[in-house]
Amino acid sequence: MSSGFEFTPGEGGVDWSDKRYLLIDDFVGIRQLLRESLRNLGAKHIDQAASGGEATVLLAKTRYDVVLCDYNLGDGKNGQHVLEEARHRNLLLPSSVFLMVSAEKSVESVMGAAEHQPDAYIIKPITEGVLLTRLNRVWLKKQIFAEIDQAFGDKDYLRAARLCDAQASQNKLHEIDLLRMKAAMLLKAGEPEQARVVYERVLEDRDYNWARAGLAKIRMRNGEPEAARQMFQAVIADNLYYIDAYDQLANAYLLMGKMEEACDVLERAAKLSPNSVPRQRNLGTVALKLGNIPLAERAFRKCIEIGEYSVLKTVDAYFGLARVYGNKNDPKEAIRLLNSAVHQFAGNQVELRAKITEGLVYHESGDFRRARKSGDELEQMLVSEPDRPDTDTCLEMATLLFAVGVKEAPKDLLCYLARNNDDNQVLLEELQRVFDKARMSEEGEALIQASRKEAADMMNKGVLLWKTGKLNEAVEWMREARVALPNNLRILFNSAQILISHLQQNGFVRELSEEAIAVLMHVDKISPGQQRFAQLMEQLAMMAPAPAALASSVGDALEAMGDARQREEE
Amino acid sequence: MNDQPDDQAGSPELFMFLASTVHDMKNSISVLSGTLEKLLSANKAAAAASDDYPQMSHMLYQTKRLNDNLIQLLALYKEVGKPGYPFEPAPQQIGELVEQVTSQARVLLQSKGITLDLDFPHDLIWTFDEDLIIGVLVHAINNAIRYTRDRVSLTIRVDGDYLDLRVEDNGEGFPPAMLEAGAAAMDAQRSGVNFLTNSSGLGLYFSREVARMHKHRQRTGSIALANGGTLGGGCFILRLP
Repeated sequence: MSSGFEFTPGEGGVDWSDKRYLLIDDFVGIRQLLRESLRNLGAKHIDQAASGGEATVLLAKTRYDVVLCDYNLGDGKNGQHVLEEARHRNLLLPSSVFLMVSAEKSVESVMGAAEHQPDAYIIKPITEGVLLTRLNRVWLKKQIFAEIDQAFGDKDYLRAARLCDAQASQNKLHEIDLLRMKAAMLLKAGEPEQARVVYERVLEDRDYNWARAGLAKIRMRNGEPEAARQMFQAVIADNLYYIDAYDQLANAYLLMGKMEEACDVLERAAKLSPNSVPRQRNLGTVALKLGNIPLAERAFRKCIEIGEYSVLKTVDAYFGLARVYGNKNDPKEAIRLLNSAVHQFAGNQVELRAKITEGLVYHESGDFRRARKSGDELEQMLVSEPDRPDTDTCLEMATLLFAVGVKEAPKDLLCYLARNNDDNQVLLEELQRVFDKARMSEEGEALIQASRKEAADMMNKGVLLWKTGKLNEAVEWMREARVALPNNLRILFNSAQILISHLQQNGFVRELSEEAIAVLMHVDKISPGQQRFAQLMEQLAMMAPAPAALASSVGDALEAMGDARQREEE
Repeated sequence: MNDQPDDQAGSPELFMFLASTVHDMKNSISVLSGTLEKLLSANKAAAAASDDYPQMSHMLYQTKRLNDNLIQLLALYKEVGKPGYPFEPAPQQIGELVEQVTSQARVLLQSKGITLDLDFPHDLIWTFDEDLIIGVLVHAINNAIRYTRDRVSLTIRVDGDYLDLRVEDNGEGFPPAMLEAGAAAMDAQRSGVNFLTNSSGLGLYFSREVARMHKHRQRTGSIALANGGTLGGGCFILRLP
C-alpha cells in the first residue's frame, strides 16, 4: 500500500456532502481552514459563527447535522455553554453530531456529566483524515444507539436495556459503551442487582472507573454508605481526575451525616473542576449548613459568576448568597440580591422561595419584627398558591414559620408532607421533630396520624373499587385522590396501575393511556429509579398500538411538566 | 486523601495566561500548516518542478515539528505539573488509527517523495488512548522522514499479549547517541530526564510516558529504538498491553 490517501465522499457509508454544517470559532483563519476541509468532503451548506452568542442564534434557526465548535471562544459563552444550551433547548436533532475542538485535551472532557458531553473531541490542529474518521465513527455510533436513545427518551428503560444487549453482541467496537448504557438503564429501571452483574462483567476485562463508581452507587442505594465511601475513595486514589467519584463520595458522607467530610470532598472537587454550577451550589449549601460563611460565600459567588453564560444557572446561588449576607448581618444586601433573583428567574415558585429566604435572613440577623412580617406574607402566599414546593423547601418553610410565631400555616404544610409521604418513616420522624421544636409534640403526633389515615383511606377506597371490578369508578376516585395527594407515590402508582387494568380489560383508549403516562412521568420526576415505574412503563409500551404513539405521549407529558427532553446523568 | 493536587503550580492568572497563549499559538500553527499543505498538494504537478517546492516542503516539516513539540509539552506539562492529562483508554479499531495517522503525514511524505508502506490488521480492536497514540506514531513518522532515504513503513501486529507498532525507515539508522537515549528512556535505574539533552529527547520522553500510562493486567507499555529492521534503517517500536 502507498501513502496515497484521498477523500472520497461516502467513505464509511456516509455521504457528508449533503449535510448542514455550522463552524464556530472566534479566529477567522481557522474558520477558513475548516471550511476548506469540509468543502474537500463535498460539503455545500456551511454556516459560520464567530462567537457563542452568534452560534446560539444560528442553532435556533437551523437544524444542523454537524456542529464543529471551538471550546475557547474569547469573551462571553464558551463552547461548553453553547453545547449545554443547544441540548437544553433541544436545538440539535438526535442525529446531529457535535464535535468539540480544543487546543489541548481538557480535563473536563473525561469528568463532566454525560449529558453535557459532545459526541467527540478533536485536538487542534484538525486534519481532514482525523475529522472524517471521527465523523464517520460518531455517525455509526449514533445509528447503533438510535433505537436505544429513543426508548430512553420514552423512559422505557427495560426495553432500552434489552436493545443494548442486542447491539452489544453485534458491535464489538462499541460493546463497552453499550454495556455502560445498559447498566445505567437498569439502574433507572430500579434493577440494581442486574446492573451490578453488568458492571462486574465489564470489570473482569478492565478497571473502568465508571464501572467501579457504578458498583459503589449501588451499595449506596442499598443503604451501605460506608462501603460506598471506601469504593469511591479507591476510585479517586487511582484516578485523581475522575470527578464524578468526588461528588458521589460527598453524597455518601452526607448520608452518614458527616457533613464536614462532605464539605472537604466538594471543596477538593471544586478546585479540580471549578466550572460546574451544580457542584459550586452543593459546596455552598453544605458550607452554609456548617456555618463556614467565607467558604459558602466563595462558592455561591463562583456559582453566580460561571452561571452567567450558562443555561444551568440557578436561583439557589442567589438564595444561598443572601443567607450568607444574613449571617454577616447585612440584611440590606441580602434583600437586594433576592430582588435581583426574583427579577432574573421566573417560575418554579421563585417568589415563594425568595420570601422564605427573606424571613430566614431577618430571623438570623435578629430582626424579629421584620421576620414575622415575612412570615405573615408567606402565609398569604400559601393561601393564593395551591401548589407546594419540594419537601426540603416545605420543611424549611414550616420551621421558619413556627420560629417567627405563625401557627396554622406550618401545621398545614407538615400535614401536607405527612399525607404525601405516609409510608416514609424517616421523613415522618423529621416532621415530628419540627413539631417537637415548636413545643407541639402531642398535637403534632395526632396531626401526623390523622394525615396518614386520610391517605390510607383514600387509597383503600380506590383499591377496593378496583378489586370489586368497578373500574370506571376506581379511575374516577383515583383522579380525586391525586388532586388531594399530588405527590403520594403509592397513590400515583396505584392510579397508573388501575388505568392500565382499565386499558387491558376494556381495550386501548388513547386518553387513558396518556393519563397513565402523565402520572408515571410525574413519579419518575419526584422519585427516579423505581422498579414499579419501569414495569408499568413497559406494560404501557406493549399495549400501545404503535410505538410512535407512546413516544409522542411521553413527549407531551414531559413538555407539560416543563421538562426538556435530554440525556440525563446516570 | 490529603495529598490532593490543590497546590496548583503558579498563580491562576499565570495559568489562564498560558492557556490562552497556547490557544493562540495552536491557531497560528493550524493556519500555517493548513496553508502549506494546501499549497503543496494543489500544485503537485506544476510546483514540483519549481525551486520553491523543496523549501516549502521543509517549512511544512518544521511546522509539524513545532506542533508535535507543542502537543507533547502540553500533555507532559499536565502530567508532570498539574492538573494532569485526562488519560482515557477506550476500544479502538486499528484501521481507524492508521487512517488518522497516515492522513496527518500524507502531504509531507508526498512532498518529499517518500513512500509509506503499511501493514496492519484493519478490523482488530485494541484498547488505548487514541489521541496519545496518534501523537506518538505521527511523531515517530515525522522523525523517520528526517532520517530515511525514500521509504518509511508502519507495521502493526499482535505479539502475544501485546500490540506491537513499528515505524521503520531505510536510512542510515539512528546515531549511537539516540540508541543510547532510547535505552536510557526505558531504564528504571536511570534518572528520568538525563536523555533529554538529546534534540529528540522530548519526543522520546513523551513516547515513553505515553507507553507507561498504558497498563493492563500487570503489563505495561514500552518503547524501544533499534537499527536494522525490515528496511535496514532506524526502527521505533511501541508495545501496548
